[in-house]
Amino acid sequence: MRPKPQDALNRWLAAEQLDSSESSESADTADAALRELFEALPLLAPAAGFADRVFARAGLQPVRRDVFASLGLRLVLAASLVALSLGAIWLPPALRALGGLVSLSEVVALGVRGMAEVSHGLVLVLRLGEWLYSLGKALSGLLLAPGALATLATCLLVSGLAFYFLRVHISGERSFRYVDPI
Amino acid sequence: MKTDAELVASTLRGSQDAFRELVVRFERPVYSLVQRMVQNPATAEDLAQEVFFKAYRRLDTYDPQWKFSSWLFKIAHNTTIDHLRRGVPETVPLESEEEDRGSLSAVLADEAGESPHAAAERRDLGRSLERALAHLRPEYRVAVVMFYAQGASYQEICEVTGLPLGTVKTNLHRARKELAQVMTSLGWGPGGAAPPGEAETGNARSS
Repeated sequence: MRPKPQDALNRWLAAEQLDSSESSESADTADAALRELFEALPLLAPAAGFADRVFARAGLQPVRRDVFASLGLRLVLAASLVALSLGAIWLPPALRALGGLVSLSEVVALGVRGMAEVSHGLVLVLRLGEWLYSLGKALSGLLLAPGALATLATCLLVSGLAFYFLRVHISGERSFRYVDPI
Repeated sequence: MKTDAELVASTLRGSQDAFRELVVRFERPVYSLVQRMVQNPATAEDLAQEVFFKAYRRLDTYDPQWKFSSWLFKIAHNTTIDHLRRGVPETVPLESEEEDRGSLSAVLADEAGESPHAAAERRDLGRSLERALAHLRPEYRVAVVMFYAQGASYQEICEVTGLPLGTVKTNLHRARKELAQVMTSLGWGPGGAAPPGEAETGNARSS
């Protein structure tokens, strides 16, 4: 527990009342009491991150840590390299074993077969596109006939008028039925 | 633990870690000195940063035969005095909850398990001390803070302020007297604490 500053303050002020010269005993007592009063108070501190702000002001870059400085990380890396080297010793026999499973002609035949399948799919897509094109052409030919055009225009006109009257009717209904009486 | 001189040498060789260690080691005493000189936390932060910035730039001029703290405090003293001489009006801070945080009065009041009356008394005492310090002349203020608050010797104060020993002693004696006068006029004394609130209204600028 910190000493009570009030006691030190009282001793200091009492000593000041008695003190009349710099060399007196009261002056020493006052000095000691005032120092004790301040000692009861911790130093004031700046806000956290002060050092970072000083560094920013001085234009210093934050210290970059060397990731390879850690001894543990170095040991792990060394062990990994050793394991990789040992693994490389076993790599050629493993590759040879894999090579024995599949021959070159089989790989080529597989590639050719794949290409043929892709080409076949493309042909199907092109045929479908051609059929759709001819269908559209036939429909457009029918719709561009004068009779069909007149029918279409009449239908559009009728439906437009129908929508207009419907809108007027609905608006009128709403204005009578749904207006708040207040 | 490395000495200050070793950290300075490392910094001069390019070690930023060493300089950071120096900043962390001295940020509290430097900030404390500056804050009690200018009585404004924001200005104190700015000036304290400036102190370390200047120290970093002039580190090659530091002579290791002297104490690093004295050299740094000299920069802090000069920087603060320059600021005060620039004509920035000296102010006594208004007491509010926001401004009170981290101040002397808040530190005084931060005593766990204290009764509300004792806490209020501590807060009042802290505010009165801040006021009394603010009323001192800058050369008195720096002497008081260094000698009583930071435990510096007369010799260190002489090195920091550049004043002769006799002047430093006289300044300290007069500063202590003025502080006591202000505190007494604010209602503090051997008879007991000032009634809460009375200390706030006291106007005791010493001449």
